[in-house]
Amino acid sequence: MRKLISLVLFLATVIVSGSFAAYPSKAIKLIVPSKAGGSTDTTARLFAQTAKKYWKGARFIIVDKPGSGGLMGFEAEARSRADGYTLGLMFTPQIVAHIVAKRATYTLDSFKIIGNIAEDPEIVVVPAQSSVKNLDDLVKLAKSKKITAAVNGIGSDDFLAAKNFETAAGIKFNLMPTRGSTEEKAAILGNHIEVAFMNLSQMLAQHKAGKARIIAIMAKKRSDIAMDIKTAPEQGYNVLMTATRGMIINAKVKKSIADKISDLYTKVMNDKGFQAKTKKAFIFLKPMKGKVYRDYLEQLQKDTQKVYDVSPW
Amino acid sequence: MIILDALQAVMSVDVLTAVTIGSISGIIIGGMPGLTATMAVALLIPITFSFTPLIGLSLMGGVYAGAMYGGSIAAILLSTPGTPAAAATAIEGYPLTKQGKGGLALKVSVIASFVGGTFSVIVLLLVSPLLAQFALKFGPPEYFLLALMGLTGVISVSTGGLAKGIMSGLIGLIIALIGTDAMSGMLRYTFGQVELYEGVSFMPALIGMFSIAQMLALTSEKRIANDNIDLSTIKREKMPKGMVPFIMLGTAVGTIVGIIPGEGATIAAFVSYNMAKQKSKFKDLFGKGNPEGIAAAESGNNACVGGSLVPLLTLGIPGNTVSAALMGGLMIQGLIPGPELFTKYGQITYGFILSLFIANIVFLVVGLFFAPYFARIALIPASILIAAISVFAVIGSYAINNSMFDVGLMLIFAFGGFFLDKLGFSLSAIILGMILGPIAESGFAQALTISGGTYGIFFASIPAKILWVIIIALLIQPLIGHYKSKNIENIAS
Repeated sequence: MRKLISLVLFLATVIVSGSFAAYPSKAIKLIVPSKAGGSTDTTARLFAQTAKKYWKGARFIIVDKPGSGGLMGFEAEARSRADGYTLGLMFTPQIVAHIVAKRATYTLDSFKIIGNIAEDPEIVVVPAQSSVKNLDDLVKLAKSKKITAAVNGIGSDDFLAAKNFETAAGIKFNLMPTRGSTEEKAAILGNHIEVAFMNLSQMLAQHKAGKARIIAIMAKKRSDIAMDIKTAPEQGYNVLMTATRGMIINAKVKKSIADKISDLYTKVMNDKGFQAKTKKAFIFLKPMKGKVYRDYLEQLQKDTQKVYDVSPW
Repeated sequence: MIILDALQAVMSVDVLTAVTIGSISGIIIGGMPGLTATMAVALLIPITFSFTPLIGLSLMGGVYAGAMYGGSIAAILLSTPGTPAAAATAIEGYPLTKQGKGGLALKVSVIASFVGGTFSVIVLLLVSPLLAQFALKFGPPEYFLLALMGLTGVISVSTGGLAKGIMSGLIGLIIALIGTDAMSGMLRYTFGQVELYEGVSFMPALIGMFSIAQMLALTSEKRIANDNIDLSTIKREKMPKGMVPFIMLGTAVGTIVGIIPGEGATIAAFVSYNMAKQKSKFKDLFGKGNPEGIAAAESGNNACVGGSLVPLLTLGIPGNTVSAALMGGLMIQGLIPGPELFTKYGQITYGFILSLFIANIVFLVVGLFFAPYFARIALIPASILIAAISVFAVIGSYAINNSMFDVGLMLIFAFGGFFLDKLGFSLSAIILGMILGPIAESGFAQALTISGGTYGIFFASIPAKILWVIIIALLIQPLIGHYKSKNIENIAS
């Protein structure tokens, strides 16, 4: 009998301390849907490093799940346990592109959207030797002959940007998908192709060193760090595209815990050290909290659907 | 002058400690299947914030150089290549271990790695801007030809006859077809498995076919080394003669191939191995434990370290995944790849390059000192060793992508590989096909996209023409040899 009582008491203590212990009471997994060492991975590691400042004693484990344009990671995030001990990073437009292309088993409703962390605007870049100086030149050239445009993979931000630009300018490119932005970079710097659609961080250094020429940034405003690059709307082509990188959790996570995570997100985003470190790493912060970012994602899914309906992949 | 300043900066206690720690941990990381130099460098990126740029970079550079060498240790002793680049080393190294010459194989490997690594760093130090221009000449058609050049290695790695070798290579190429077609985005042979959308990842395949298949074969033995070998034989080994030309060959090939962005180190190792076999006086010994093969393959893959940093530092084009992660580390320190790195930030950049020399010296000393001790693994009873290696194989396959699916894949390749090996097919040729297939395919398709469908583009540039000459040269000699031996057989029968 005494044994039984002590067992009950023991179990009660365990259960009480387990369920009422302040979150977080164990290590938190942070899933990164891409390769170690990439920009998303670095964002996650810097985020975790800063987060420890606000959640004293919390441990974060970065789990890289690369593959299939983030799909492997997104799926793992959607299937993670809804206890708040798995956070996920994601990137656009791939997260919605997989839904549109019917590859994903998740939907946007599978997630609670914490917020966006960073963005990397889309750019149009030509070789330094090219005669093309702006988007008009590019369109003129594309109308006179077939030109090759590199994009990093099908269904990527590059791909959607190129497709949208084709529609806006009434031209047709010879689209050359590459396996990774490195191939795009090499093809432009080596003058093997006429134009590439890439992200700002990938070519900024080469542009500044005069080894490649960025002729447009597909954003509403020019970028602080490259004021010389004109936006696409400025040049009369209303094509906008950016790759955002946000944080999500399983939609079923309890509200009280989700709120704590949202609070952490806000604190990290406002942290001066985080801002300084990301800036150095060419990670451009772009805070968009929960609802705002959710609306952005829903709109992006609709826009991507339009492209998919015309030319599916 | 700037180089002397840099030298002074490198010769501080902090930097030397960082390089030493980096290089030694690199050896351990490279030696463990599943732990990659890329992961290690990624882990270091946020940490290096608190260090000065030179200390942070020399730590990462040390890991890179150490890991490239470390991959060869397990390849030689256990036929478990820590990196795909060490697969060619396993072909010659493991048979030597079986003969009780593991210590010798390790010595050859560490010296070849040192020479290859050091020479490529000298090249990086002296002539990188010039070489960067050379790297840019390579476009999609040249990548295709480069992969084709690597594929000629199928003939060299096949020991069970030409027909089966080519069939093995084709099996590899067919496996490489699985996944998303990079050109159209269509799915090929994925059977609705999300895990296959990216294709069959080759580290699990490599671990399965090399290490587990070998462990299955080992179940019938008492230990790796043959029965008549004991500790005293292992201790008595001397460095074999005649390695110099093969190390030089590997070094040259590795440095050149490393400069070209792509799957540098693996292609370099196999192409060097292939050339070494054709050059060798002891062709028959290849596949049965010829240190010449190790010398060429190891100097080849280590020479890629310096080579791959040439386009990275001058143009911001990373040659492989490790240098891509390294670029993240550079940028965080405010070092943006480009000409300024060699002028304004010259002290740090040259300091980083010089620290790579030290990293090479560190692994040379560690490797030579521990070689006889490592080699004793061959004497461990198989019953213990097999269990230990199997654990590593499972963890390693899982750790690459954090995926249980990959563990299953590893097991399929292990059993498939075991039987294919028994039937005389070449597992190395399968791996070669798997690694080079996607590079060849995308180079081919991209080249035809650029040219609008005309095949002239594959013969247009000067690098393309040179590559064709090398490819044909690599094919002719083994074919002549093949027919000669056929004739001899015919006469004999």
